[in-house]
Amino acid sequence: MIATNACFRTRRGIARSATMLGTLLGCLVVADPATSGEPIADVDLLEQNAVQAAVDRVAPSVVRIETVGGMERVGDVLFGSGPTTGLIVDREGYIISSAFSFLHLPASILVRLPDGSLKPATVVGTDHSRKLVLLKIDAGRPLPVPEVAPVAEMRVGQWAIAVGRTFEGSRPNMSVGIISALRRIWGKAIQTDAAVSPNNYGGPLVDVRGRVLGVLVPLSPQSDADLAGYQWYDSGIGFAVDAEHIMSVLPRLKQGEDLHPGVIGISLQGRNPVIGEPVITACHPNSPAAKAGLKAGDRIVEMAGRPIVRAAGVKAELSRRYAGARVSMVVVREQKRIETEVELVAELQPYAHPFLGVLPMRIPGGESVVAIRYVYPDSPAARAGIESGDVLVSLEGKPIENRDTLLQRLATFQPDEDVELEVHRDGQPRNVKLTLGRLPEDLPPAELPPAHGVVAGEEDRPAVGTIRLKIAELKNDAWAYVPEAYASALPHGVVVLLTASGDFDWPELLTRWKPHCDRHDLVLLAIKTVDAQPWRPDDATTVGRFLDEISSSHAVDSSRVVLLGHESGGTLAFAAAARNRELARAVVAIDGPPGSLPLQVDPLHRMAVYAAVREGSRHAKQIKGGIARLRSAKIPVTVKGLAEDTRQLRDQELAELARWIDMLDRI
Amino acid sequence: MTPPMIRSLLWLVLLAAPLALPAAADSGAPGNRALGRSSIAETITQVQPKIVKIYGAGGFRGMEGYQSGMLISPEGHILTVYSYVLDTDYLKATLDDGRKFDAKLLGADPKLEVAVLKIDAADLPCFALDEAVEVESGTRVLALSNLFGVATGNEPASVQHGIVSVKTSLAARRGVFETPYSGSTYVLDAMTNNPGAAGGAVVTRRGKLVGMLGKELRNSLNNTWLNYAVPIAELRTSVDEIRAGRFDPERRDASTARPQRSLQLSMLGIVLLPDVLQRTPPYVDQVYPGSPAAAAGIRPDDLILLVGERLIQSCKALRDELEHIDYEDPITLTLLRDQELLERTLQAKIEEEP
Repeated sequence: MIATNACFRTRRGIARSATMLGTLLGCLVVADPATSGEPIADVDLLEQNAVQAAVDRVAPSVVRIETVGGMERVGDVLFGSGPTTGLIVDREGYIISSAFSFLHLPASILVRLPDGSLKPATVVGTDHSRKLVLLKIDAGRPLPVPEVAPVAEMRVGQWAIAVGRTFEGSRPNMSVGIISALRRIWGKAIQTDAAVSPNNYGGPLVDVRGRVLGVLVPLSPQSDADLAGYQWYDSGIGFAVDAEHIMSVLPRLKQGEDLHPGVIGISLQGRNPVIGEPVITACHPNSPAAKAGLKAGDRIVEMAGRPIVRAAGVKAELSRRYAGARVSMVVVREQKRIETEVELVAELQPYAHPFLGVLPMRIPGGESVVAIRYVYPDSPAARAGIESGDVLVSLEGKPIENRDTLLQRLATFQPDEDVELEVHRDGQPRNVKLTLGRLPEDLPPAELPPAHGVVAGEEDRPAVGTIRLKIAELKNDAWAYVPEAYASALPHGVVVLLTASGDFDWPELLTRWKPHCDRHDLVLLAIKTVDAQPWRPDDATTVGRFLDEISSSHAVDSSRVVLLGHESGGTLAFAAAARNRELARAVVAIDGPPGSLPLQVDPLHRMAVYAAVREGSRHAKQIKGGIARLRSAKIPVTVKGLAEDTRQLRDQELAELARWIDMLDRI
Repeated sequence: MTPPMIRSLLWLVLLAAPLALPAAADSGAPGNRALGRSSIAETITQVQPKIVKIYGAGGFRGMEGYQSGMLISPEGHILTVYSYVLDTDYLKATLDDGRKFDAKLLGADPKLEVAVLKIDAADLPCFALDEAVEVESGTRVLALSNLFGVATGNEPASVQHGIVSVKTSLAARRGVFETPYSGSTYVLDAMTNNPGAAGGAVVTRRGKLVGMLGKELRNSLNNTWLNYAVPIAELRTSVDEIRAGRFDPERRDASTARPQRSLQLSMLGIVLLPDVLQRTPPYVDQVYPGSPAAAAGIRPDDLILLVGERLIQSCKALRDELEHIDYEDPITLTLLRDQELLERTLQAKIEEEP
């Protein structure tokens, strides 16, 4: 009884303070039926009621979407057959949803309205930047459109309720959290800690008043890929595209327009956009940047009237804009401010690298000229009378510093353009004019002249011979072989070997490769899978990690970094190169078909492919299709046929491949 | 009134409540309902002694040899899920106070995946199944279980908080959830259904029993893991029958048996497009003249979307669905033709075999 009394008193105490709260908050007081109308605020209960009321408020606009037919797999993700959620955004029957739910290209889409009626739907438009689709149904009556919460009123920490309609029954499913951050994913999304997953992708994120903050979509700050962000489902990190933005692009989507992320066509300094300088290192020919007169070396100081100090600022300004948008820019070139305007496009025209037709000598010490090691027969250089032993001194009147800067400068040209070169032979200058060609796809010649003279030994050099590589958080075993003649003044190429099974015998492998590594200044790096399992898509990052490891201890010639894979190892090589364009300059795939991720080139990052196809291979059709796709992306592909019984390359074939790798620093 | 304000005020109240209510106790008795203003902390103190840790078969190939359970009588009846863990003669139950008991499997209903164990004890704290409550989506709940086997000996069960995301039914589509259970379910907005959690209790913040956590379950519709609890009301009849020794599992299965002779598309006169893709949509390729389908006006290129109320997403799904339909029963097909939905009812025509 005492306990009850104490409890009673205390409850009244709470009631008093709650009355105060009630006065403060106006609508938070409820009458407890058990205490004859005495007002009591039970904040927990009020909160629960508020959440339920918020969901009830938006529920009439939340629909379930079913799909019929379509693929079972997209990329590496097994696709369920729905259902998914949509949000009515227009009384005429327009429904917005997450593009994720339609990646498997269903044959038919059906919308089930909250009243249970079923309507066939068509896709009207897609926003590829925000990963949204707009559907249209003919409901035969005006549909309820929810209220939109203005972005200006959103605060980090406020309630956010994720609403979906994917379970059987009359009520939507809900998940409660808060707004974790605003302006995420380069300003495109609101972040929430409410559970976001395929159970509510496409549904609304609402505030405690039931107003729509945004529409839930899987997004990732690191990647623009269609599936990016799905891995984070139910992880406490979820994203929603703010509803205000959706309403602003709705008229365009309703017109049937597809919105694409805007592309400008520049490369910026440094790998890390957060610390990188906003200095243009290359402009893609025919790109919006090139059309606006931007040039390599320009420093971007202003975009859309806002000052820019880091590369990340450029990315932020561009990422949230669509193709077709115009952005004013100010760049500084030789201490002069230049104002211009670019019109972003959806896709750059593929860029073909130009070709002089020579191999450079690898001169230790990086002297300020490029000496010719070899001239490709019938190439622009050969036609202009350039011979091995000649020295390239200047391009278009400007002195050539070394191979890398020459390649960078040539990257502002395209095949069929004319350039002027100053060439020295035995100290005699000569000016030649030549028309640039395309990178060749031929197999290499039987013999190549040496790439360098004698290189002086070093006293304090890193380990050579066989090196066992281990990265703390990776379980993979890896070995590397560095030729005895290695010197830091002579950067070596790297061949990353990915066998079909992910397993190998290192001594056996080394016996085959050692002579070629020694002759062509190549480091061999062979990586095993974990526990002899097959290769997995995320091993692409493993490859990058081991490459970083070897580059941190040895001087690597980035123009000759090759990913070489057999069968599924080849597919992984393509995937790794596609995922990170800076990783490698060539992919060698032995009976390995390219995956779905497209390989791309840009002016700064060349790419070449060596595709060896076994006679009667079961992958032949896929490889053929892959080669056609690569060539249409202007990537030179060297095709090599292998005999039907080939288990591994014959000595002669391996030597030929090694020569092909040796020629990757072609100019 | 802004939401952050509510939140901070909530914290004030939550902080103040345990100090202010040193002796409050929610006995769960109906007359005391209005007095149940105890804090969540007190609810937990009160519920935790009713949760038991169950140890049995498993412990190999990644299968955990433990799960959770709840006391449902003072003399030691334990409610838990029916699983491989119980498939042993050496079943142990550890109470909240650390006491270990040999447990006996009294009986189980495999269809509901529910089992009742018995230990020899007396005067135990327990849930009364007839006082269990039903709740709406949005209701705040606590889940108590020994997930991942974190608690051992006299350590209390782990507590998680969340809300009921939605109340739904797992049965609406065939083959979506790999469970024989097909009744109503609370989907939870909390990471509750992890190894070892099955058999744990879901209670309201006042400590009222709501449901029992089920086994780990994957939603094959979208490849996500489901966090869920089975409402106590669904389990009560079976549990009472098991306790009374009257349970007959056979009786319940009769209703779900497939018909002796199932319906086939050829009986309706429908030929589908060849099933060559991963998920070939069930488009009609041909309709035999004079067939039930022809009489009902079904045409080539119609897409079959629904059989009765069930959504059909591929040729295979359509054949699977027909397996469950007796050839003599009429069926209603919903078809898509030029973005228009049509509903047609037809009955098979069987030519008697000579």
